Amino acid sequence: MANISIIPSGDFKTSYGTDTTIFPTKTSRNFAILGVVLLLACPAFMDRYWLSLLIQIGYLGIAALGLNILVGFTGQISIGHSAFFGFGAFASAWLNNSVGVPVALAIPLAGVVTTLVGLLFGMPAARLKGLYLAIATLAAQYILQDFFARADWFTGGTAGTIAEPLTLFGFAFDTDESYFYVVLVAMVVMYLLATNLMRTRDGRALVAVRDHYLSAEIMGINLTKYRTMSFGISAFYAGIGGALYAHYLQFVSVEGFTILFSIQFLGMIIIGGLGSIMGTLMGTAFMVFLPEAMQALTKLVSGTAIDTALNLKDNIAFLREMSIGLVIILFLVFEPDGLAHRWKQIKAYWKLYPFSH
Amino acid sequence: MSIKTALFATSALLLATSATAYADIPVGHLADQSGATSDVGVPYAQGVADALAYINSKGGINGTKLAVDTVDYGYQAPRAISQYKKWSSGSDKIAALQGWGTADTEALTGFVGKDEIPAYSGSYSGHLTDPTGKGPHGSKPAPYNFFYGPSYSDALRGMLMWAAEDWKKQGGQGKPKYVHMGANHPYPNAPKDAGEQLAKELGFEVLPAVQFALTPGDYTAQCLTLKQSGVNYAYLGNTAGSNISVLKACQTVGAKVQFMGNVWGMDENAAKAAGAAADGVVFPMRTAVTWNGDAPGMKTLKDISKMSDAAGTAYRPVHYMAGVCTAFIMKEAMDWASKNGGVTGPNIRKAMYQKKDWVPAGLEGVCVPSTWTENDHRGMTAVNIYRAKVGGDTGAGVDELVKAGTIKLEKLTTVDVPRKPEWLGW
Repeated sequence: MANISIIPSGDFKTSYGTDTTIFPTKTSRNFAILGVVLLLACPAFMDRYWLSLLIQIGYLGIAALGLNILVGFTGQISIGHSAFFGFGAFASAWLNNSVGVPVALAIPLAGVVTTLVGLLFGMPAARLKGLYLAIATLAAQYILQDFFARADWFTGGTAGTIAEPLTLFGFAFDTDESYFYVVLVAMVVMYLLATNLMRTRDGRALVAVRDHYLSAEIMGINLTKYRTMSFGISAFYAGIGGALYAHYLQFVSVEGFTILFSIQFLGMIIIGGLGSIMGTLMGTAFMVFLPEAMQALTKLVSGTAIDTALNLKDNIAFLREMSIGLVIILFLVFEPDGLAHRWKQIKAYWKLYPFSH
Repeated sequence: MSIKTALFATSALLLATSATAYADIPVGHLADQSGATSDVGVPYAQGVADALAYINSKGGINGTKLAVDTVDYGYQAPRAISQYKKWSSGSDKIAALQGWGTADTEALTGFVGKDEIPAYSGSYSGHLTDPTGKGPHGSKPAPYNFFYGPSYSDALRGMLMWAAEDWKKQGGQGKPKYVHMGANHPYPNAPKDAGEQLAKELGFEVLPAVQFALTPGDYTAQCLTLKQSGVNYAYLGNTAGSNISVLKACQTVGAKVQFMGNVWGMDENAAKAAGAAADGVVFPMRTAVTWNGDAPGMKTLKDISKMSDAAGTAYRPVHYMAGVCTAFIMKEAMDWASKNGGVTGPNIRKAMYQKKDWVPAGLEGVCVPSTWTENDHRGMTAVNIYRAKVGGDTGAGVDELVKAGTIKLEKLTTVDVPRKPEWLGW
């Protein structure tokens, strides 16, 4: 009951058009715009540490959204997402270094190239379900990882490759303060694209495939087409995210794109909320801030009585890794529906206060 | 809801910790305490950290303390680089970097050059020795990269020269067979071409490289390959942990190979863990003595060790001592810089070129004399070759084993690798 979106009285919908707007109410739309405006002001008062975290949330959020389209909206499973993220990163660096495409063009092009790779792996995957599909995407992860390590011409092999900073009209976006805007613009565009995709015929077809593939097929939805398409879109998002990451770090190495990273992407969308666009961003923020918070905690603990009592010494580094795992497990136990769901409940609680139902 | 509260609390803590201001000399310290090379990364980082803490306890750099930020990056280059980006700008830009791995140090070469931050790495990759980028093997300029020790390539060259002599001494017939072993990773690969090239010139038959991962595992297959091809000399390019697996597996299958580790490939802990399998392994050492050695500088080292071991009973492996030497080289460069225009990156770099046969004060007889010049960052070309001797059961603690003489690191020879211009940056 508390999950339905509650519309303030007097806010009437008198046409289908107004009933399918991106934001349910004017207030929510204005708040979203205000949020972006506030973000625009961030570099003015935030230090580089916080900016770098926000930038991370930006490019990881874009890639995670791709995975959510595939997993949360289409009901497919993928445990090879970081390989596509890596492919986008390498593709963008390679397009710029070897082909000479300017970075501003290389980033979207990398997305397109990664889409093709995604479609390639999506074709056989689209005919598989459940565990079989999981193993197929696992294969994609390892095939691409191996390709990264061996394809010297494309990735620089195990040594990695340098990615030039993004320059536009002679201005180099090579500081966190400037690159922040690049990521912000990309993120707003990509998130709007995804939101609109879900309002189209094709987007609803994806959801139908997720909800009941048999019913969807009876309705005339081409399952193979939509599953493959979903893989393609997902890879496109991963590629754009990866390309943004490459030109932010200015260095790409095969070491970064392991299966663990893929699992982290899954963690982001599960914690945020499967099938929720806003939840994707929330989950990404959670996964970016968590290690940092744990790192700070670990630093506080080191050298204190706890440290000496448990004789941690060198093992203090592992404390961080362990607590990250623990927090994620606790989260899945106590918040299985994700942050987006919790957010809705909080909103409903205040709307209905003092009546809880 | 309690989890949320905890999260808010942690983010509040984060705010508090990230807002600390530096009035000292900021130094970044990248360490591998949990990654693939943590077996040797932990003692080395401890050496660096203890030395810097000791320097601070003695008043720092002419009265200014060092603000050291030690971060474990898990041997993942991308993590190292994002950490470096945090360090390299803003008001608390680091004056110098104590780094670690080959992949990250090589990736950072361009960055530290642009930002003018001297980087003292735990990587001794030959690619880092060419400050001007004029080396004939296409090395990139690395004007701000320094390390204390012989480069991986020079160390391997030294061992190959020793091996060629050794082959004659053993009365070996025909061409000795040499093979390069290690993970497919920038660090083991760094000296591969240089080593294979010189091996050919010295009359070795060079066999295709054998791969084994940076993590301990079952390397029986690799050892069977060595046995079948009749390899005489094998270079181990990884760190101690995975090398132990190879040594043990090769002992099991009975491959009679003279293994040559690199500077990170063998130490007292590894000799204990590998037991009899480590007996006879040859490796280059970066200090003139081991922990129980007799040298005037050892007193300073024992004091430094007390920084993290108040009782003063811990036995420190060779990597710890190398970490101390590296930190003190940086410290003395900073001393000079502070008297000659201030502790800035360019001044620290200039300071590195002021001394010949440089041994940090207080560490006489421990650190090996090193010389850096503006056109050549091969600080050390003398390769001290040691052999690990393990005689008996290695169940006891490292300290006791070394005292009892069960584990011995004995010096074989010093090979002076020629400072050839064509070997610069390779």
